[in-house]
Amino acid sequence: MLDLLVIGAGLAGLSAALTAAEAGLSVRVIAKGMGALHWSAGTVDVLGYLPQTDAPAERPLAQMSELEPAHPYALCGAENVRAALAWFQSIVAEQGLPYVAADDEANTWLPSPAGAKRPAYLVPAAQTAGTLDRRDPMLIVGLQGMRDFYPALIAENLGKQGISARAAFVPLDKFTSRRDANTIHLAQAFDQPQRRRRFGEALARLVRPGERIGLPAILGLDDHAAVLSDLQAVAGAPIFEIPTLPPSVPGTRLYRALRSRLRHYSVRIEAGMEVIGFSGGGKRIRWVETETSARPLRHHAGAYLLATGGILGGGFSSDAAGRFWEVVFDLPLSAPPDRSQWFRGDFLDPRGQPIFQAGVEVDDGYRPVDADGQPVYDNLWAAGGLLAHADPLRERSLEGLSIAAGRGAALALIRSAARLPAQT
Amino acid sequence: MHGISWQSVDHTLDACIKCNICTTYCPVAAVTDLFPGPKYAGPQAQRFRENGQPISPDHAVDYCSGCRVCNEVCPTGVRIAEMNARARAQIAETEGIPLRNRLLGRNELLGMAGSFAPRLANFGLHNPVSRVLAEKVMGIAREAPLPRWSVDGTFGDWMHATRRARLKSDKKVVYFHGCATMYYEPFVGQAAVAVLEHNGYEVIVPPQNCCGLPMLSNGEFTAAEAYHRRNTARLSGYARAGIPIVGTSTSCTLTLKEEAPELLDLHDDAVETLRMGVWDLFEWLRELNDQGELRTDFRPIELTVPYHAPCQQRAHRVGKPALELLSLIPGIDVRESHAACCGIAGTYGYKTEKYRIAMDVGAELFDFVHAQSPHIAFSACDSETCRWQMEHGTGIPSRHPVEFLAAAYGLYDLERRTPVSPAEPTMQTYCEDRD
Repeated sequence: MLDLLVIGAGLAGLSAALTAAEAGLSVRVIAKGMGALHWSAGTVDVLGYLPQTDAPAERPLAQMSELEPAHPYALCGAENVRAALAWFQSIVAEQGLPYVAADDEANTWLPSPAGAKRPAYLVPAAQTAGTLDRRDPMLIVGLQGMRDFYPALIAENLGKQGISARAAFVPLDKFTSRRDANTIHLAQAFDQPQRRRRFGEALARLVRPGERIGLPAILGLDDHAAVLSDLQAVAGAPIFEIPTLPPSVPGTRLYRALRSRLRHYSVRIEAGMEVIGFSGGGKRIRWVETETSARPLRHHAGAYLLATGGILGGGFSSDAAGRFWEVVFDLPLSAPPDRSQWFRGDFLDPRGQPIFQAGVEVDDGYRPVDADGQPVYDNLWAAGGLLAHADPLRERSLEGLSIAAGRGAALALIRSAARLPAQT
Repeated sequence: MHGISWQSVDHTLDACIKCNICTTYCPVAAVTDLFPGPKYAGPQAQRFRENGQPISPDHAVDYCSGCRVCNEVCPTGVRIAEMNARARAQIAETEGIPLRNRLLGRNELLGMAGSFAPRLANFGLHNPVSRVLAEKVMGIAREAPLPRWSVDGTFGDWMHATRRARLKSDKKVVYFHGCATMYYEPFVGQAAVAVLEHNGYEVIVPPQNCCGLPMLSNGEFTAAEAYHRRNTARLSGYARAGIPIVGTSTSCTLTLKEEAPELLDLHDDAVETLRMGVWDLFEWLRELNDQGELRTDFRPIELTVPYHAPCQQRAHRVGKPALELLSLIPGIDVRESHAACCGIAGTYGYKTEKYRIAMDVGAELFDFVHAQSPHIAFSACDSETCRWQMEHGTGIPSRHPVEFLAAAYGLYDLERRTPVSPAEPTMQTYCEDRD
C-alpha cells in the first residue's frame, strides 16, 4: 500500500509529493488533468500585494507579519516559507532551471504580457533581465502572426512607466509553416539550433547598442538554457522572456523540472483520474475511487493530501442555488453561507471578493478541520490554493503559498506518521 | 448512414476553457505542422460542426491519430478525442471513405482471408513488389509494420485442438482475443490461457468478432455498430452471469467498455452490462492480486525490460497494472516509458501520408528503449500494433506483458513464443548475456 496519495498535480501537490518522497515515503500523484502550472507565468509570486490595503508588498517575507492571523502564511511562519523557497530553488537549479531572488529579499518588478508592472519573488533566470528596477532601454520583439503578443502595446505601457521601449516584429515564417502556431510549438521550434540562429541574426539587425531585448516566453522547451545563451550570443544583447497567455512555456518548464525530480524517486503522476468517491468512516479515509472507462478504481493509502486548487484549479464547484463545495471530500468551507454575500457591490473593490477568500480551514498541522476546529479525518492533509483566508490571485501569493504549504503539509504528515504506530 | 450523435460531446464542450494543455501534450502536433492540435481541431472547430452545419470546417482533423492523450491531460474533462472521431465520421459521411480506409477498417476480414493460406498471404503481402504496389495504388506505406499471418494456425484452431487438455473449473473467465491474437499472434492468447488456468480459472472463448475500433477510427460508424451489436448479443450474457470478460488487446477492451457505446450512442441494458463486465487482462489480474489470489510462484527472469503503457491502455484510466505485476517477477528490471505514444495509433501509421509522422512521434519511445541497456532482449507493451511499431522503430523484439507472466510461471517460452509444459526441464533462465 502507498504511504501517501496526493490528489492534484499543481505546484502544491508536486511540492508535497517531492517532500514526502525525499523522506522515503512511497507516493503517488493522481489528477483529473494536468495542473494549473501550465497556465502560470513561471515566476514564484510570494506576496505581491497586501490583502487588506491592496498596497504593493516590497519585502514579502518580512511583511508576512502584517497579514491577518488566519492567513495561511501565518500558519506556515515566515521562517518556514523562507526555508521552503530555498529548498525549491535548489531542486529546480539541479534540474537546470535556476530561479533567482533579489539580494535583499525584495520583490522584483517585471513586465506583464500587457506591459504593466507585476511583482514576483523568485524569477526564472530567463526573466531576470526584464526587471523594471533598471532603466536601460528595451526592444520588445514579437513574431508577426503570433497571436496574443503585442509588442507595441507592451512598449507603450512600459513607456508610461518611464522605461524607454520600442517595438519590432520578426516574421513568423522564419520558424514555422503553421498559420496558427501556439507558444509550445514555437518553443519546440526554438529547440532546433538552425531555427534559433536565424532568429538571433534577425534580432542582431534590429537591436541598437545598450538595449535589452524582450521576447515572448517561447525560448525553448527541452533545451531552454542553450536557446537563451545562443540567442544572446548571436544577437549581442541581453534577452529576457515576457510571459504569454496559456499555454505558458515557463510554467510548463517548471512542471517538467519537478516531474523529472519526482521520477527520480519513482513517483508516478497519473493524469485523467478524477476522484468520484471515497470511504471515510471512523475519521479515517480508507480509500478514494476514481472514474475509469468502466467501474471505479480504488486507491488505498496510509495518508491522503488534497491539493486540487481553488476555484480556477478545480478544487471547488458551485451551483446556481448557492451551494459551494469542495469536490473530493466535500470538506467544510469557509464560504459565506448566503450567495448574496459572495461578492461586494464593486467588482474592483480593493478588499477583494469574499468568495475568492473562501476555502478549506486547516489546523496547525495542515489537516482540514470542522466548525469546532477538530480534524475532519486523521489521515487527510490539505495544501495550496484551496486554503481558506487567502486570495492568491489578488495577493499574488499562489506559488509561494503552494510551495510553502505543500512542503509544510508533507513535513507535518511525516512527523505525524513518525509518532503514530504503523498503519495497516 | 449512421446518424452521428454529438450527445456526449455537447455535454463536455462547454467545459473547455481554451487553456491549450491538450495542444501542449499532443504528440502529433509536436512533430508536424499539418495538425494544428486538439484544441483547434476539437473544441474550437466543433462550433462549426453542430446544428446541421453541412460540412466539417477543417480536414486537418484527419491528422488526429486518436491516441487520446488530450483527454488524459485535459483539466476540465473535455472529450476531445471523441469529438475528433465524430468529426472524421462526419467527413466520411459527406465525402465517402477511401478504399484504403475501408480495407484497414476490416482487419477481421483480412485476418480471416489470409489465414486460409497464411504462407501465401505472407508472401503476397510482404514482398517488396507488392508493398510498392500497395503504396502506389492504395496509399499504404511500404515500410509500415504490417503483421504476418500465423503459419501455425489461428488461436481458434489451437483452442479447438487442445480442448481436452483445457482446465475445467467452477471459476470461469471469458477471454476476448481480438483479431490480432486470432490471426496473427495466437501465442499471446496461449500465454493468457496459461496464466488464467495457472490461477485456477477455466477459460471460455465464445464466438466473437472484431470490436470495431479500426472502423470507428476510420469514420465507418455504421459498420462498427453492426460489430458492436453482434458482440453485445454474444457476450453480454456472460457479463450478466457475473463471469468477467478479459482481453489481451487493450484497445479492444477499451472499445467494448467505452468507445463503441459512446461514439455510437448505444446505451441499452445489454450494452451497459457488457461494458461493465469487460476488463483489460492486467486490470483484472491486479484485482486478483489485490485480493491475494494471484499465484506468485514466479521463476526469476533476469532481464531489463522497457515497458510502454500504450495510449489505449492509459485511456482506460486504471493506472499501469502491467507495470505493477511485472515488477513482482524476481530478477526483472522493468523500466517505465514516459513517451506519450509510439505513433502507430492503430492504422494511422500505415497510411503513406502519415507514416513519417508516426515514426517521428515514436522517436522518443524508440530512443527510450535503446537507452535502457546495450543488451535489451525484449520490450513490453499491451497493444499489438504498438508492439509491431516498437519492433519496427527499434529492431528489438517486443512482447505482451502476459507473455512475461506466463514465462515466469514456467509455462511459456519467451524467445520462441510457444507454450511449454511446466514439467519440461528445458525452461531456461532468461538473462541479458544469453548470446
